[in-house]
Amino acid sequence: MRPEIRAMQEAMEQHGYIAGPEIATAVFLAKEMRKPLLVEGEAGVGKTEIAKVLARILDTELIRLQCYEGLDVSTALYEWNYQRQMLRLRMAEDEGRAPDEIEQIIFGRDYLLERPLLKAISRREGPPVLLVDEVDRADDGFEAFLLEVLSDFQVTIPELGTIRAEHVPYVILTSNGSRELGDALRRRCLYLYIEHPSLEKEVRIIRAQVPGASRRLAEEIGRFLQALRARPLAKSPGVAETIDWAKALIRLHRDHLDPETVEETLGCVLKDRHDVSGMTSAELSSLVREAREIEVAAP
Amino acid sequence: MSGEDLVVQLARFARELRERGIATGLADEVDAVAALTFVDLSDRAEVRRALLAALKIRPRDRAGFDELFARFWAAENPGEIPARESATPDRPGRVRPVARSAGGATTGASTAPGADVPEGTIPGYSAEALLRRKPFDECTAADLAAMERLLERLASKLATRRSRRLVPSPARGAADLRRSFRRVVGTGGEFLTLARRTRATEQPRLVVLCDTSGSMDSHSRFLLAFVLSLKRAARRTEIFAFNTSLVRLTPWISPRKIGPTLERLAAGVPDWSGGTRSGECLSEFVARYQDAMVDSKSVVLIFSDGLDRGDTALLASAMRSLHAKARKVIWLNPLLSDARYEPTARGMQAALPFLDVLAPAHNLESLERLLPLVAA
Repeated sequence: MRPEIRAMQEAMEQHGYIAGPEIATAVFLAKEMRKPLLVEGEAGVGKTEIAKVLARILDTELIRLQCYEGLDVSTALYEWNYQRQMLRLRMAEDEGRAPDEIEQIIFGRDYLLERPLLKAISRREGPPVLLVDEVDRADDGFEAFLLEVLSDFQVTIPELGTIRAEHVPYVILTSNGSRELGDALRRRCLYLYIEHPSLEKEVRIIRAQVPGASRRLAEEIGRFLQALRARPLAKSPGVAETIDWAKALIRLHRDHLDPETVEETLGCVLKDRHDVSGMTSAELSSLVREAREIEVAAP
Repeated sequence: MSGEDLVVQLARFARELRERGIATGLADEVDAVAALTFVDLSDRAEVRRALLAALKIRPRDRAGFDELFARFWAAENPGEIPARESATPDRPGRVRPVARSAGGATTGASTAPGADVPEGTIPGYSAEALLRRKPFDECTAADLAAMERLLERLASKLATRRSRRLVPSPARGAADLRRSFRRVVGTGGEFLTLARRTRATEQPRLVVLCDTSGSMDSHSRFLLAFVLSLKRAARRTEIFAFNTSLVRLTPWISPRKIGPTLERLAAGVPDWSGGTRSGECLSEFVARYQDAMVDSKSVVLIFSDGLDRGDTALLASAMRSLHAKARKVIWLNPLLSDARYEPTARGMQAALPFLDVLAPAHNLESLERLLPLVAA
């Protein structure tokens, strides 16, 4: 393994993100090659966290663009602050300036509302990390526009001219896979798919993110979640749910699992009505027993 | 091995991937070469990870990728091929490391591909293409899982109609002068915001009537799976099953996991295998549900082979009523896949005059061709 990649993996762990070699390699390559990284995976596996931890590692700003259906250029890129411009015009009426001068004033950078994409491009202090979250929720039109921005990292504002990025940002896109992303966007980025973690990894994540959890509790929680994911659920719990549940159990001062507590806190891990109703007390008890029994068997 | 050989090897590897149906473009190959300059070429696992990222290998293509990768990048010591990635980072490369020459990438890890893999011997096939053409009644439960993904993509392509009507829109579209001026009244003559309007999107209302009798049995599962995917795209979808009686399935359908839903449905629908009485069932639909569910924007889809034991006069009158009310009535008949088939069965004969479209629905391809008809 390249020492730089190992260093990246260790840095991610230091900042609270347990990354396997695959994740570390992809993030490292994206950083070195200055290509965007498309991260796919089910909800709650830690896609967004990658961007956050990268920003922490590089000690730079995280600029986040949350995508949704109907997101358009003005909300993502820039908009003129019309109200302020109108007020300025009103005031200029009394000042008696020449029209050209007034135009210069009201179309200055002060009157420009910079939205995330423009902020990312025009940052002076150094390259930021640009997170385009849930890009699958935006539509085809926005995707095409995003592709353009990611290709040139320059933006043309008719009144101001072309703004080029001084520092090309590190770009991370996340997708839940709810929509098929266009080929062009896929080709532009490096690709990383994050699966649900293995038992060992999940236990390490719990211990890293929830310091109050004992090794025993973390292992029991891990085993329970692994068994839960093996069942056919409408909404499989992700790592985010694991962490929430661990924190909840700590709050309730539990150091091990028991059926009553699990039933009470089931809402931390199962978020779908059908899943919750489909889980009978008997099944729950057996799952809890399994999660605890294996530990007893080990020497 | 020189940098040039590495490029050649990558090009061959990419071509093999393409022949497997794993889309890999020239740009991806360029990315792959660039990525390999950043990794330790003697570490086979690392090379694999770099290629996964640079060639953008999707999870469903991983198995094919791994198989080809194993062939192209054989380890020097075959017995020590690392089988699995582990979370611990300290597994050393299993292959003899080679000193790197300045400015170029060298690799001692791979055997010369030119000798091992003669060109053009691997037959091209695309698993996806085969699955599309496989008739439903030959599909297994495992195929259903693979089809699920294809079905989802198919259903999401269901075009949402953009009607000619212009509706107020918060952000996009042409300027709506009338509303803009109206707004200006409140701000003392200043145009602070422009009101806009854009073409409305309408999603077709879909009513699906699926014959679940024995003769349709093997098709029913897949058609229902297709319809479940459709439900995600065309939100107002009503789904009914009929054979000897009519059952409304809509409330039981959860658009997320197809498998468990189908099982739930199979458990709940009586007479999953039995004879069909289309006339009686469709008449019941017309009597109880048509007024509420079928309007001039609705598309009615009927999946059935037309083999009927019921009253054809009833069927004819039910079809006439549907045809009059709905925008389009589409009948999907798996028997149509056979070119020699003629709709001579009594049921089909009775329904024929009232259909806008009669189409086959025996494999994924035929369903794909159906989409523009439903959307238009």
